[in-house]
Amino acid sequence: MIGNLDLSFFNWELVSNFLAKGFYFSIQLTLIAMAGGIVFGTALALCRLSGRPWLALPAATYVNTMRSIPLVMVILWFFLLIPLLIGRSMGAELSAIITFTLFEAAYYSEIMRAGIQSVARGQVYAGYALGLTYGQTMRLIVLPQAFRNMLPVLLTQTIILFQDTSLVYAIGAYDLLKGFEVAGKNFNRPVEAYLLAAVVYFVICFSLSSVVKKLQTRIAIIR
Amino acid sequence: MIEIKNVSKWYGSFQVLTKCSTSVKKGEVVVVCGPSGSGKSTLIKCVNALEPFQEGEVVIDGTSVGAAGTDLPRLRSKVGMVFQHFELFPHLSIIENLTLAQVKVLNRSAEAARDKGLALLERVGLTAHADKFPGQLSGGQQQRVAIARALAMDPMCMLFDEPTSALDPEMINEVLDVMVQLAQEGMTMMCVTHEMGFARKVAHRVIFMDKGEIVEDATKDDFFGKPRSERAVQFLSKILQH
Ligand SMILES: Nc1ncnc2c1ncn2[C@@H]1O[C@H](COP(=O)(O)OP(=O)(O)OP(=O)(O)O)[C@@H](O)[C@H]1O
Ligand SMILES: [Mg+2]
Repeated sequence: MIGNLDLSFFNWELVSNFLAKGFYFSIQLTLIAMAGGIVFGTALALCRLSGRPWLALPAATYVNTMRSIPLVMVILWFFLLIPLLIGRSMGAELSAIITFTLFEAAYYSEIMRAGIQSVARGQVYAGYALGLTYGQTMRLIVLPQAFRNMLPVLLTQTIILFQDTSLVYAIGAYDLLKGFEVAGKNFNRPVEAYLLAAVVYFVICFSLSSVVKKLQTRIAIIR
Repeated sequence: MIEIKNVSKWYGSFQVLTKCSTSVKKGEVVVVCGPSGSGKSTLIKCVNALEPFQEGEVVIDGTSVGAAGTDLPRLRSKVGMVFQHFELFPHLSIIENLTLAQVKVLNRSAEAARDKGLALLERVGLTAHADKFPGQLSGGQQQRVAIARALAMDPMCMLFDEPTSALDPEMINEVLDVMVQLAQEGMTMMCVTHEMGFARKVAHRVIFMDKGEIVEDATKDDFFGKPRSERAVQFLSKILQH
């Protein structure tokens, strides 16, 4: 007991019955949206830097549109529109995974674009001069360097992504936050449950940020 | 081997190259010099189509560089190039720098590429550094690796763009030595450089550029003996003071 707060319900049963499932989904959503977002985002960045308007323009429009809409609205609209388009619901979880991947790609794309531009033009010349094609030069020379230069920023974006996954409450998907909410209702302790939720999110994000900071200094030394 | 015919190039409305014509025969060493901004780098980059040009023609070993349908990656793989700032790939080890294009472009086996790479590292005196990364080497060492990287492709000619001008003075000679050796073995070379000692030693011809034009194109003896243009005389007197 701390004041009027009763934290006694926080035990292993709570974790295994309510939180594990939600935590698992939050992590899954974060990892898939990160991987998919970086791949799709890199493709968008390459389109924008291609110098060909028919590739650059649609990519730029996509990125700028996504970046101008609140995420929660994208989540909601995708969830509501898909049943109208395909005739049935795809489920909140799958809908969230697709939405996050598409949305995060816009942000990862801006990071990768800066990363690609951070690689000296001479590196591209050197790749071409050896007989590498455009694709090979990008894949083997430019993107690995861009990725390495941007790793801390990419990871920071991923931490933000992890925090944002809690927005899937809007469509009722069962994530970590939802786990706390349901547990709070179940034990009739909603305030304590949300308090614990805040602590858990804080601890996860704070430790990840510290890891990124360490990484940043190590990368600075390698370069 | 390399034929440059009436090449002109513009950046927007600014003309960088004006009707440049010259040629490099097989086994010939040609030095290109001229003041900063005169278009030397641009000209040498036109040779392997790293820069496009609007007029004229460049022919390498019978293949027109600018023609539609030319397999540029294939052509470039046969033309070695060394840059002012080395441009080693910093995320790859020295030996990986040497093997990457051999494997990806020439389809050599990893083993054959490695053997070739190690042999070339030995040639430039850097065998001990095979597994280091470019950032761990001095500028002179990096440039020698860059030369070895180009040679690993068994090029039919080599292009150099001011290979020593980013180096500390004490490292210039280790790079020039490798280039002199290469020249003496009969490599076809086109070198942008202000190292007149190098030119005197191994060049067959010297080209002097100014404001995008080839002002002088003379045999070495003629060039150093009696440069005909006022601009070349001025330029020579400036750089020979150093
Ligand atoms: N991408 C570009 N866009 C516009 N102008 C350019 C570009 N690249 C080069 N130039 C201009 O073209 C001219 C020739 O450049 P270039 O690099 O070929 O000169 P250079 O003879 O190699 O000089 P340096 O000795 O300084 O290397 C210069 O006036 C330069 O400012
Ligand atoms: Mg130059």
